[in-house]
Amino acid sequence: MTRQSQISSRRRFLGQTGSGLAGVALTHMLHEDGLLAAAAADPLAPKQPHHAPRAKSIIWLFMEGGPSHVDLFDPKPKLKELAGQPIPESMRPKVTAMPGTSDNGLMPSKREFKQFGQSGLWVSDWYPEIAQHVDEMAVIRSCWTDGINHVGGVTEMNTGSILGGRPSLGAWVNYGLGSANRNLPSFVVMLDDRDPIGGAREWGAGFLPASYQGMQFRRGDTPLLHLKPPAGMTDEQQRSELSLLKQLNQIWSKDKSEDSELDARIRSYELAYNMQSAAPEAVDLSKESDVTRRLYGMDEEETRAFGTNCLLARRMVERGVRFVELYCGSGSGWDAHVNVEENHSKWCRASDRPIAGLLTDLKARGMLKDTLVVWGGEFGRTPFNEKGVGRDHNPWGFTIWMAGGGVKGGQNIGSTDDIGMYAQEQKAHVHDIHASMLWAMGLDHLRVTHMHNGRAERPTVVAGEVIKPLFS
Amino acid sequence: MLTRHWNASRLGAILCGAALGCAAGLAQTAPKSTFTTDVAPLLTRKCLECHGQVASMSNLDLRTREGALKGGQHGAAITPGDAAASRLYRHLTGQQQPQMPLGGRLTDQEIATVKAWIDGGAGWDNGVTLVAPAKPAATSENTFTDQQRRYWAFQKVVKSSVPPVKNRGWAHNPVDAFVLAKLEGKGLRPNPPADKITLIRRAYFDLIGLPPSPEEVQAFLADRSPNAFTKVVDSLLASPRYGERWGRHWLDLARYADTAGFKGDETRPNMWRYRDYVIQSFNDDKPYDRFIKEQIAGDELYPDDSASLIATGLNRLWPDESNLANPMLRRQEILNDITDTVGSVFMGLTYGCARCHDHKFDPILHKDYYRLQAFFAASFNEDRARLLEGPKRDEFRRQYAAWDITTRDIRAKMDAILSPLRLEATSKRLSNYPKEAQEAVLTPAEQRNPMQWQMYLRSRSRLPSAAALEKTLKGEEKQRYAELKQQLANFDHIKPAEPPVAEAMVDNGHVAPPTFVLAKGVWDAPLAEVQPGFLTILDPNPPSIVPPEGVNSTGRRSALAKWLANPANPLTARVMVNRIWQYHFGRGVTASSSDFGVMGDRPTNPQLLDYLAATFVENGWSIKKMHRLIMLSNAYQQSSAYREEAAQIDPDNKLGWRFDRRRLEGEVIRDSILHVSGQLSSKMGGPGIFAPLPKGISMPGSKYLNWDSAKDATEANRRSVYLFVKRNLPYPMFETFDFPDTSESCARRYSTVNPAQPLAMMNDEMILDWARVLAGRILNDAGLSPQQQVERAYRLVLNRAPKVEESNAVLAFLDWHSGIISRRLERNEKVAMPDRVPEGMPPARSAAFVDFCHTLVNSNEFVYMN
Repeated sequence: MTRQSQISSRRRFLGQTGSGLAGVALTHMLHEDGLLAAAAADPLAPKQPHHAPRAKSIIWLFMEGGPSHVDLFDPKPKLKELAGQPIPESMRPKVTAMPGTSDNGLMPSKREFKQFGQSGLWVSDWYPEIAQHVDEMAVIRSCWTDGINHVGGVTEMNTGSILGGRPSLGAWVNYGLGSANRNLPSFVVMLDDRDPIGGAREWGAGFLPASYQGMQFRRGDTPLLHLKPPAGMTDEQQRSELSLLKQLNQIWSKDKSEDSELDARIRSYELAYNMQSAAPEAVDLSKESDVTRRLYGMDEEETRAFGTNCLLARRMVERGVRFVELYCGSGSGWDAHVNVEENHSKWCRASDRPIAGLLTDLKARGMLKDTLVVWGGEFGRTPFNEKGVGRDHNPWGFTIWMAGGGVKGGQNIGSTDDIGMYAQEQKAHVHDIHASMLWAMGLDHLRVTHMHNGRAERPTVVAGEVIKPLFS
Repeated sequence: MLTRHWNASRLGAILCGAALGCAAGLAQTAPKSTFTTDVAPLLTRKCLECHGQVASMSNLDLRTREGALKGGQHGAAITPGDAAASRLYRHLTGQQQPQMPLGGRLTDQEIATVKAWIDGGAGWDNGVTLVAPAKPAATSENTFTDQQRRYWAFQKVVKSSVPPVKNRGWAHNPVDAFVLAKLEGKGLRPNPPADKITLIRRAYFDLIGLPPSPEEVQAFLADRSPNAFTKVVDSLLASPRYGERWGRHWLDLARYADTAGFKGDETRPNMWRYRDYVIQSFNDDKPYDRFIKEQIAGDELYPDDSASLIATGLNRLWPDESNLANPMLRRQEILNDITDTVGSVFMGLTYGCARCHDHKFDPILHKDYYRLQAFFAASFNEDRARLLEGPKRDEFRRQYAAWDITTRDIRAKMDAILSPLRLEATSKRLSNYPKEAQEAVLTPAEQRNPMQWQMYLRSRSRLPSAAALEKTLKGEEKQRYAELKQQLANFDHIKPAEPPVAEAMVDNGHVAPPTFVLAKGVWDAPLAEVQPGFLTILDPNPPSIVPPEGVNSTGRRSALAKWLANPANPLTARVMVNRIWQYHFGRGVTASSSDFGVMGDRPTNPQLLDYLAATFVENGWSIKKMHRLIMLSNAYQQSSAYREEAAQIDPDNKLGWRFDRRRLEGEVIRDSILHVSGQLSSKMGGPGIFAPLPKGISMPGSKYLNWDSAKDATEANRRSVYLFVKRNLPYPMFETFDFPDTSESCARRYSTVNPAQPLAMMNDEMILDWARVLAGRILNDAGLSPQQQVERAYRLVLNRAPKVEESNAVLAFLDWHSGIISRRLERNEKVAMPDRVPEGMPPARSAAFVDFCHTLVNSNEFVYMN
């Protein structure tokens, strides 16, 4: 292909975009972040938030499978005293995920906890590098949820309900705010291992239109499904095709100029074409320095997968992606029924440096202040053992933490009881967590509503309150 | 209103429509108030229903001072001495949302009473425990207002008389008169008729979901008789493709899927028979009343008809969490799904809103929800329902009985070996079950009561199988068991072959377990027991329920089916004709086609709706006759052209002054490309097809995909309705084009535009491959003349001749594009070639033609119904 034909073909494509449309397409390519007028047929047009946002983007580090809070951020010395004893009858949960585990003895953590930073927050030796960032982190130790099984837990953490069918939080953010960069999906999901429990419903749009759903970024240089022209077709060829397509569409639209949906469809081909170069550019790490790669742990086997995703997350946010959800241990990786030490050693190792690197990098680039980073799983783990050295699911009390995006760091919020079984003070339900994440993005969870089956549905279903101490 | 998702949890506060408002100016001087005389009655009457014993919403229990101090999910409810800082007070005033009590603010006087009490230290006389009122307010009845009783959807359908119109020439049939009367009332006139090509394409997409062939178009154009279009409509209605198209609409409503969803997403291997049943029913023009009866109670009403047994699969289509460690909760979720679905599909009502309380807007009582649910109380899924009729069934039963008697001893001995193991394994597997559920499962079958049966039936998937138990046998027992198994096998020759099976919903015996109104919809918070019953405002009387003869069933569902299918039911016919109208025009006469309540849309033309409903019943509930009535109207045959002066008056075209152009569904787009390229298979029915997936759809290590497209390689070109519907993996191309979420009934699909659509259409390998075949077909038909090639492509794909400017654009493209391809061929690069090339056609030009075809199937004209 000659250089000349490439340029010429490109000009043909753009030159025919017509007066109004060319402007729109070019603006999108120029990385918009303003509030453009919302066309009726354009569901992702940027929208006004409800209040001044603290965060422009969210990076959600989803530790799928349920990390053990009592081994990471919520030390329980009392468990040492009670080691091997049964849980007091009054505290025994009615049901457990695995049969009969509440008959088993209490199991203290084998980890060593220390205080870090000026704030003196406790972190176990499983997370030595994240521990260096405690002064940026608000650690919510009093989380609770309803789903006792993985699929219910993961689905509730993503959609607010243990049953499928509701929109995911990222879809609600898309719905509430629209897109800040039309050349990339506004809600990106990355996996590290297998598909998560529940599959694509975890980032689905539920009863919202499909335009708001998350898109999975896959590994390699073609991160989106159908991102590359099919085998046997070059970019030049495709541009030539697109140019004809536009021409034919415009001829057909001549007597249908009122139909904005037809225009939107013409424009969607331009956006898709732009995405074909923007998305690979977003995942092209070749220009990242070795220092950066090391910062994220990409130089070591154990941390490479998640480190790569963390670096990609930063690059997405830089490019205006509003909601990045990256799974660590997708497919119930952290599900330490059999052996907490063995399981968590692996996943903590896999995530410690990448997350610490992400926080360092965001801070160094001045991005942390308007990027909300959220760490957590779908639930925690029980203080009593399973099979001697494992722990069962604990939806009644667990920890997540948040940093950046206006979050006041260096504080614990709420607590569990002496053995880490139940959330006790300042309990934070999943709906409260969702309300808070939305609030950081400038959205009032009560006002993000969509009429469905006669009800103004909202992300927090029927409950939820912003966890006020989170924000300074 | 409430979607299914949110009753399971005990947490939610109960707000449905947020009662937004701000604190009104509060009362004046604080009255002296005492706890016992003033505050306790208030708490009891206004708070304890939700924050008491049966339901502690938000985990708040206000029966004791201790409970109030401890508070709920968000902390203490009262701060003694400081009302302003107390959540209770702040919620009562609305300073904190939601304002409490939900649905009705306390009087200023009452709020002042609470304030004074808290400010005064919140004394709680004698530490008394308050008791919630015996009959919660939520089961109120006979409180319907006249307005509710007069609501349009609840009035008997009366066949409207055809209105007079000015432009009588246009009013071809009564439908036109109703439409035109509305238009004329607003000073509007309808559009002129669509041209014949547009019209035939519209009819084809509408009725069979495929474009016509050039020959079919030609025949229609040549037919100058006044009933030319009637002939087209009739031939389409007679085509088996019709059922495949309209059956899909019903499958949207039925939340059809071939898997269970949730983590396991287990395949339901015989669910497809329900899909085939729906397609067949539409093709047969099964009367809609019969269609309802079969789906609700086919097993009871038509026990000798296999299709009717399959039909009950509608209520088998719930998403299911098979891993739930609580069979009662699992059963409740299933019953809720059935209740919501039946209420919405057949009655067009948001019954789901009444799961936790009386419907906030419509006269659907809390107890009505459970009255409807009670019809299904005895039901369970018989996933191996044998499909046998008449003499064949008798013969099967006879042979089976013979085998049963002959082998009874052997099987008893085998069972005796497994029994102790089974007991132990079962206890172990169910040890995280609630106690009563464990008991129910372990109770011997003959001693189980109906509710215990339900618990057992909802536990079956977790119970150990004989094969699993056999593996745990050791030593002598193992050997003995193997011997017995061999003995049993010796009688295999007299055992009849298993017939095909369906996944059906049937009752477990004559007696149903009790149904209770559930406080806030929580499965273990029963209030009053209820009997099966209809919507109270329509029919408060108890239904006549008679267990059917010869079927071990309660007869409950038969009573519901007959009530729904009764011509006197004001909802059934209205809801269905409105759906038919919607699928023809893109929008129903009532736009919210599954919500005829006050939160839904009003009918834009109530007289038309009633005329259609009455006519539907008169015509023996024939859906095909409705199609004819509607499609043969001038209203349907209008052009879609835009007229500014009409849009000024009716911008959303609610009154129908033009035909609304609309995008085709993903399935129709796929089928149409296959069809115009001559590849679409006409094979009907059978298990779901695993069509090829785009590369990279799943994580390499994933164990959840379970989608073997290689197995179905020869079936890849079947119609879309036959593709396997996996709840956790919607077929990617359909998903981008707004395929409905299968977790609940979908009354109307979205039609969105998003960049994932062009990515799929441009870049999917499969679509380019279809374009190759399409190009081959066209070139083969047209020969070497470039003009004729373009002409043939337009005729085949868009059913018309190209305009001059289109031809010119395409020919210029082909020249330009051939240049690009030539350079690639010079470099020996692989390009997509037509599957057939006429002799003498240069390779570069042939390949360019593939890309032209690829472009054409991407064009707006191809994917829109005009």
